[in-house]
Amino acid sequence: MTIALLVWFGAIELEFGTITDIRSGTLPTILSIALAIVGLGVVLQGLFQPPGSSERLELTIRPTALIILSIGVFGLFIRGGNFGLLSTPQLGLLVVGPLTVFIAGCAADRLRVRSLVVLAFGLTSALLLIFVDVLAVNIPVYPKAIADVLNTSLGEYFALRAGYVVYAMIALGLYLILYMSAERKRG
Amino acid sequence: MADLFHNLYMGFSVILSFENVLLCFIGCFVGTLIGVLPGIGPLATIAILMPITYNTEPVGALIMLAGIYYGSQYGGSTTAILVNMPGESSSIVTALDGHAMARQGRAGKALGIAAIGSFVAGTFATLVIAATALPLSDLALSLTAGNYFALMLLGLSLAIVLAGGSLLKAIGMLITGVMMALVGADQVTGEPRLTFGTDILYNGFDIAIVSMGLFGIAEILRNLEAREQRPVVSNFIGSLLPNRKDIAEASGAIARGSLLGALIGIIPGNGATLSTFASYALEKRVSRHPERFGKGAIQGVAGPESANNAAAQTTFVPLLTLGLPSTATMALVGGAMTLHGVIPGPQVIAKHPDLFWGVITSMWVGNLMLVIINLPLISIWVKFLKVPYHLLFPMIVLFCCVGMYSVNARPSDVLQVAVFGIVGYLLSKLRFEAAPLLLGLVLGGMLEDNLRRGLILSEGSIGTFIGEPLTLVTLGITGIALGSALLPVIRKRRVYLVEDA
Repeated sequence: MTIALLVWFGAIELEFGTITDIRSGTLPTILSIALAIVGLGVVLQGLFQPPGSSERLELTIRPTALIILSIGVFGLFIRGGNFGLLSTPQLGLLVVGPLTVFIAGCAADRLRVRSLVVLAFGLTSALLLIFVDVLAVNIPVYPKAIADVLNTSLGEYFALRAGYVVYAMIALGLYLILYMSAERKRG
Repeated sequence: MADLFHNLYMGFSVILSFENVLLCFIGCFVGTLIGVLPGIGPLATIAILMPITYNTEPVGALIMLAGIYYGSQYGGSTTAILVNMPGESSSIVTALDGHAMARQGRAGKALGIAAIGSFVAGTFATLVIAATALPLSDLALSLTAGNYFALMLLGLSLAIVLAGGSLLKAIGMLITGVMMALVGADQVTGEPRLTFGTDILYNGFDIAIVSMGLFGIAEILRNLEAREQRPVVSNFIGSLLPNRKDIAEASGAIARGSLLGALIGIIPGNGATLSTFASYALEKRVSRHPERFGKGAIQGVAGPESANNAAAQTTFVPLLTLGLPSTATMALVGGAMTLHGVIPGPQVIAKHPDLFWGVITSMWVGNLMLVIINLPLISIWVKFLKVPYHLLFPMIVLFCCVGMYSVNARPSDVLQVAVFGIVGYLLSKLRFEAAPLLLGLVLGGMLEDNLRRGLILSEGSIGTFIGEPLTLVTLGITGIALGSALLPVIRKRRVYLVEDA
């Protein structure tokens, strides 16, 4: 298993090495040759290592995929835009933030929906406060369609603050509802 | 000597502004926080938090990054002592005797002596940096392009040799890193290279993106593999202040640890971790009761803790004076400096004296803060240890995304982080160290630049590199260093140092 993957890695290295562009400077060429040699070395080492010493390559697919998906969702929808194959709408941090936290949170070995939902809203609210309000970083907050309406009717700052205050309340409310009800069920 | 005090005075006048003290405090605080949490090392911490420093002045940013770095070194020892889970590779040794002390109900004393030792070592290391910086940077200014090229090769190869893991793979990663550094517009002609015709790669690879993906996200992915376990924290800490007997026993260890750490830190390679092992071995050898080690010997905590703190600080010396980062962490700090328009190297002292001395004195101030943050507030850190990981990692993920997006407001940056996250995870699964890649990425541009300049000045003859004695000697040592790594004795030792600090 390991050996196969090492071969694969070596192959990529070789390929990358030989296509290199040699227009400016000699260093890229020299390096690509060196890399190819080292890649070959790694492959040989992989092939000739004693069979017992190789360990099985175990990849945990689900958490990895979920984390990557969550980051991908953030990147694709925070401002939207044209990414070659697909174009996406702007959804803003208020939508994307909780979504990212939630998807990432699903990667844990056991799903704890209640704490995760509270965290999703609470954290988004906190990040809006820190990054957008205090540090004045330019991050889209609302989905595009709502943003225009809100910004003209409420003013940009009020709209932003209303956003994170509401989210903080949602987080608090959810916490109270979800955990209180749990207490009551138990009691 | 008078110069030294004058310079330190200038440094203090920089650091003691409200904003800088605050930034130093934030750095130390966040650093300790992350250091305490097992599983996230200083490198990942700096990678994740780098975007926040973009909005501050260069001095403040560096002070904060430095604070995060030694704060996390420090926080790691708290976890090592209380839970027997080393937060960082540099506190593996501390866990041996520190946790033994905790089990005997002497956790407070172990924490206390670690704090005192770190502070003493920090003070000593600050003076070492202040004293060696000027002569070293003078020396560096007289170096030619050829010298520099050879010196960089030496630094890189020492970093690989002293880091551990497979040598061949490390070299492969290093070359890949240098190669990645060459992607994008050519420094001289502006021609696009290795971009495969895409626009995204024209500006090359962003160090912040690569490191956040390779270290930050990949680390989360690795941690998610293991079933979550709750650390068992003993709530009983005991008296924090060591008594007179403890101090008498530990003072020798602290002094030796400081000296050893300061020396090892300057040498390229995994200084902080290496120095803890060296110090532990030394203490065991000089002790009259070597059998007590591993069963709660106070010297076994005091020595390595002093050593790693001193080494953590003196690793800044090659970066600030020669412009050569000796570890991946320093490479990141160097990258952050470059982003702020300060090119690491001998010119830093001359061009930005306030920044240089400010950062150095901030280390001392930061160490003082660490003692204050850590000892009285220890109960808070213990509580943080109880934050479950399943809540922690989604936070880190969102934080990374927002942080990365806020730098350039480019969604594609965030997507690149995801890609490098997968790459980093695969690399670590295949037992490739990502640290040499980062070093190569940061140094690659300089490496090529100096090679080219050397060749242009000599009109294309390789003679400049072989003819000059200093270059030849440096290249020779590089060869010896790489060759010696193949010796079985050293090979065996290197196995211990697999994780980078």
